[in-house]
Amino acid sequence: MTNGFFEWFGELGIFSWNVLKAGLTPPYEWRELVRQLDEVGSRSLPLVAAAGAAIGVVISMEARYSLTRFGAKSMFPTTLVYSVIQVMGPIMTGLIVSGRVGAGIGAELASMKVTEQIDAVEASAINPYRLLAATRILACILMLPLLTLAADASGLLMGWFAQAMVEPLSFHQFIASGFKGAKLSDFLPPTFKTAVYGLIIGLIACFQGMRTRGGAEGVGRAATNSVVLASLFVILADVVLVKFILVVFP
Amino acid sequence: MSRVARLGAFIVMTLAILAAGVFIIGSKEYLFSSTYQVKALFDNVAGLDTGADVRVGGVHSGTVQSIALPHNPGEKVTVVMDLDNSTHEIIKHDSVASIETEGVLGSQFVALSFGSAGQGEVRNGETIQSEPPLQMADLLKKTSGILDNSQLAIQNTVQATAHLNDVSAKIDSGQGTVGALVNDKQLYSNLQQTTATLHETMLQAQTGVTDFQENMEALKHNFFLSGYFKKRGYEDSAGLAANKIAALPQGTPLKTFTYTAKQLFDSRDTAKLKNQKSLNDGGNYLAQNPFGVAVIVVSAGMEGDAQKDLVLTEARAMVVREYLVENFGFDDSQLKTLGLGKQAGANLDADWGSVQLLVFPAGTVIPADKPAPAAITSTPAVPF
Repeated sequence: MTNGFFEWFGELGIFSWNVLKAGLTPPYEWRELVRQLDEVGSRSLPLVAAAGAAIGVVISMEARYSLTRFGAKSMFPTTLVYSVIQVMGPIMTGLIVSGRVGAGIGAELASMKVTEQIDAVEASAINPYRLLAATRILACILMLPLLTLAADASGLLMGWFAQAMVEPLSFHQFIASGFKGAKLSDFLPPTFKTAVYGLIIGLIACFQGMRTRGGAEGVGRAATNSVVLASLFVILADVVLVKFILVVFP
Repeated sequence: MSRVARLGAFIVMTLAILAAGVFIIGSKEYLFSSTYQVKALFDNVAGLDTGADVRVGGVHSGTVQSIALPHNPGEKVTVVMDLDNSTHEIIKHDSVASIETEGVLGSQFVALSFGSAGQGEVRNGETIQSEPPLQMADLLKKTSGILDNSQLAIQNTVQATAHLNDVSAKIDSGQGTVGALVNDKQLYSNLQQTTATLHETMLQAQTGVTDFQENMEALKHNFFLSGYFKKRGYEDSAGLAANKIAALPQGTPLKTFTYTAKQLFDSRDTAKLKNQKSLNDGGNYLAQNPFGVAVIVVSAGMEGDAQKDLVLTEARAMVVREYLVENFGFDDSQLKTLGLGKQAGANLDADWGSVQLLVFPAGTVIPADKPAPAAITSTPAVPF
């Protein structure tokens, strides 16, 4: 058991090294990268935007209730903006993408592996790490911050909307008081830390997919493991990242 | 939509969101407008944070860039502020920075006061004056002191009330002098009787006074005494004050008639008229011309007793008035008297004094009557 745990990390390290080596050396797989960017980015947008909107509405309702109890209702816009852009937007995007993209990549690569398509790719003198893994991981890294921005925007918009339904609050006023005292270090680091989530999601999903053994059962296991492990590592990474941001951008 | 176009649209849209966010926050942080730095030193910044608002005249015009603790115990905390360039014209060398709180529990901000017109502009990196922040803790300390004092005051009041209660109880139960006064019915009925008697006495006294006045009037006409009154020129001293005014009316007189006392009166110290005919020009004028108010002003010479001379001038004015009223037809309520007593300089005849008839035009406000000396007035009986 303990042996397996360390083995897993060891294999992950070797896998990462192979992907890095393959990804950094030409020829580059541009077409596959664009396909993956579209798959991870634009196709995840509706899901992420919907989840962001829901989160915005929930925080709006909860914050209004608790802030009113403490007599700090005027802090509502600030509370909503900070919760969405600093915490909820990034982590929620990370988890949604782990679910959607992690499962997709894990299952896709696993089925390619069990049907020996990966061996076929390798046999046609194409490095599968370069073609399959590097493009997917890079797409995750690049797209997650952008998806986070989309989630933030839709969360704030719907959060404001939910508030404006209850009592009038102009969008301009909401933005003006919400971002009051905000610094770029409150906005950019939490947004771009999701590139790390992207790395985790892409890496774990590709790794789980490409080391699959066994038939259809193995594919299912790979998909599940991809999602579970990617989500877990995203949350664990967040603990470190939040502390890191607080230290580096005081 | 092709895959590439879809990807492009996604990227453009999210980057637009990024740009909007950066722009909104950046404008709050004054990243995109030109700023200058101003420093202020505080003993205590009362929890001020980096990024807090800086307000000039209540308008958000900058942010706190950094707050640095001093290197030595004797020094102060340095607050560095980024201020919008547009505040250059308002922030001068005598501007004062203070740390204030939004509401009671709100966030802290730095308030900068306007400078005065003559002072020089503050250049980038210069330090301006500051005043220490008002802290809730200090305020609470003061409030607690006030509350202690109020508590003492309330305790004192409670004690005083208890004492008062005691005293009232004693009075109520008839103890002590006041108690006896309040509770003794007999004393009350005695007092009532006394008052009734007093009232009766007063009525009798009033009748007596009337009788006495009649007697006096009779005496004045008595052969033995009438000479005195005749020589004095008038009989009733009570009439002296009847038409007397306190001061001359405002405005310039329409016409002035001036006589010397020597010319009009029998002797230097009486009010008996001698050549009353010489008053006729004044009398005719009053009878034939409309006027607002006329005043007979009489002054005496510098000789003699001041009090007596005052009475003499008043008497002379009254006598002259009586003559004019009796012999010429006009509204006598418009003729007033003013006895000046001894007057130096202004008199035509230094020894005897002068008589002037000042006629004021219509519309002149008639001055207030000189208050009569306090007289005994009958008071209504106190009903018990």
